[in-house]
Amino acid sequence: MKYPQCPHDHPDCPLPADLERLRRERETLRDLVSVDELTGLFNFRFLKSALEREMERTRRTGLSTGLVMVDLDHFKQVNDVYGHENGNLALQAAAGIWKNHLRKIDIPCRYGGEEFVIILPNTGIRDAIQVAERLRQELAAVPVELETETIRLTASFGVDEYREGESLTVEAFIHRVDMFVLAAKNEGRNRACYDPARAARPATEVTAEERASLFLKRKP
Amino acid sequence: MNRLLTAKTICITSGKGGVGKTSFAVNLSMSLVAKGHRVLLIDGDLGLANVDLLLGISVQKTIRDVMEGGALMESICFPSENFGVLPATSGIPEMVDLGPEEQGRIGTYLRAVAESFDYVLIDTAAGIGTSVLWFTSIADEVVILLTPDPTSITDAYAMMKVLAQKYGRKTFRLVLNNVTDVREGLGVFNNLRDVAERFLKLDLHFLGAIPHDTDVSQAIREQVPFLKRTPDGEAARAIQVIAEQV
Repeated sequence: MKYPQCPHDHPDCPLPADLERLRRERETLRDLVSVDELTGLFNFRFLKSALEREMERTRRTGLSTGLVMVDLDHFKQVNDVYGHENGNLALQAAAGIWKNHLRKIDIPCRYGGEEFVIILPNTGIRDAIQVAERLRQELAAVPVELETETIRLTASFGVDEYREGESLTVEAFIHRVDMFVLAAKNEGRNRACYDPARAARPATEVTAEERASLFLKRKP
Repeated sequence: MNRLLTAKTICITSGKGGVGKTSFAVNLSMSLVAKGHRVLLIDGDLGLANVDLLLGISVQKTIRDVMEGGALMESICFPSENFGVLPATSGIPEMVDLGPEEQGRIGTYLRAVAESFDYVLIDTAAGIGTSVLWFTSIADEVVILLTPDPTSITDAYAMMKVLAQKYGRKTFRLVLNNVTDVREGLGVFNNLRDVAERFLKLDLHFLGAIPHDTDVSQAIREQVPFLKRTPDGEAARAIQVIAEQV
């Protein structure tokens, strides 16, 4: 962005510097509103508005929205054993992995604590499952450097998809994927859980109702 | 006649095979050429070439040469003035799936060659394979060809659903082939339009209906386009009406 100029070309005009300062303050405020300070991911406030926007896009275009929720495994122990400062380092390391392995259009957010949510625009559940698996494996494979230790992290993933025609609020969608995270925890952690029936039935499949409607009647 | 800087790209697909896509594509191309347009017809059935067979032409180079780095214009043959054909190969299963690299190469060449033509028509393979979906994704328009039987209607609907869900394409033009009469064609179209609008919010347009015409199968056997063999036949006249609206 160009540095502001005095419209009358006065050499000592204070306005350009003031305008530039205001512009930088506005950007800082915008980041504070949208960005999680610790991890650099989007924050919870941004997550809700972004997810609402993507679900609306699904309703208008028919292209599904994928959602991945991540909960780091045994994270309370990390904080208890190594301290909160090291816990923060671990969160930053995990966030770095999400950022490095997602598309530019994907929206990684810190949901709270050790939980993350990743919005995957224009993504069906099968592709979302692949993304989750990739992130899970990468997290488990990469050692995390703390101040005096090196540890390994794993996480439990929930994967879901919002399809055109579904009647769902943002909160309900997040709750639904959260249930899959819970399932992953209950099944032993370090895994991704999702609805296998939904994954087995792609959004593109012609339903029985559609088939029946195609041959109901023919207008003259 | 206005010459376009870049061609209008029309993908002709169907879902179900055997509904007459290639015959339609060939004869529509010829009809557009007869109206003074420059037309490139691409045989998108990459591993089972048909366009050259229906035209009765022998080919030296095919789309495979383009994919292997050859110059596109050298692979195009001209059955007549202003009518170019980019043939496919026959009997090479590996050709069916276009990888990202092949897609990129063909896309680059097509953008370059589009300036030499007013229309680029793509006759896709049957089904919803990789190459079919990619060709439909690069086209300005998708024309769905179907016949008035349940399997063709269902496959056409399924094709549109895939294109809508995967690529966000919401508008299609439909041609009913091998109908008893236009009334039957419109009946099938109206029902399909209503279902597609209700479930998928699609916008379907009726492009035309081609009546059953015994001249068509005879022309195919003789490897002469029916527009040329029987220009006053019912199918030929229907194609000409469709060409007016393309």
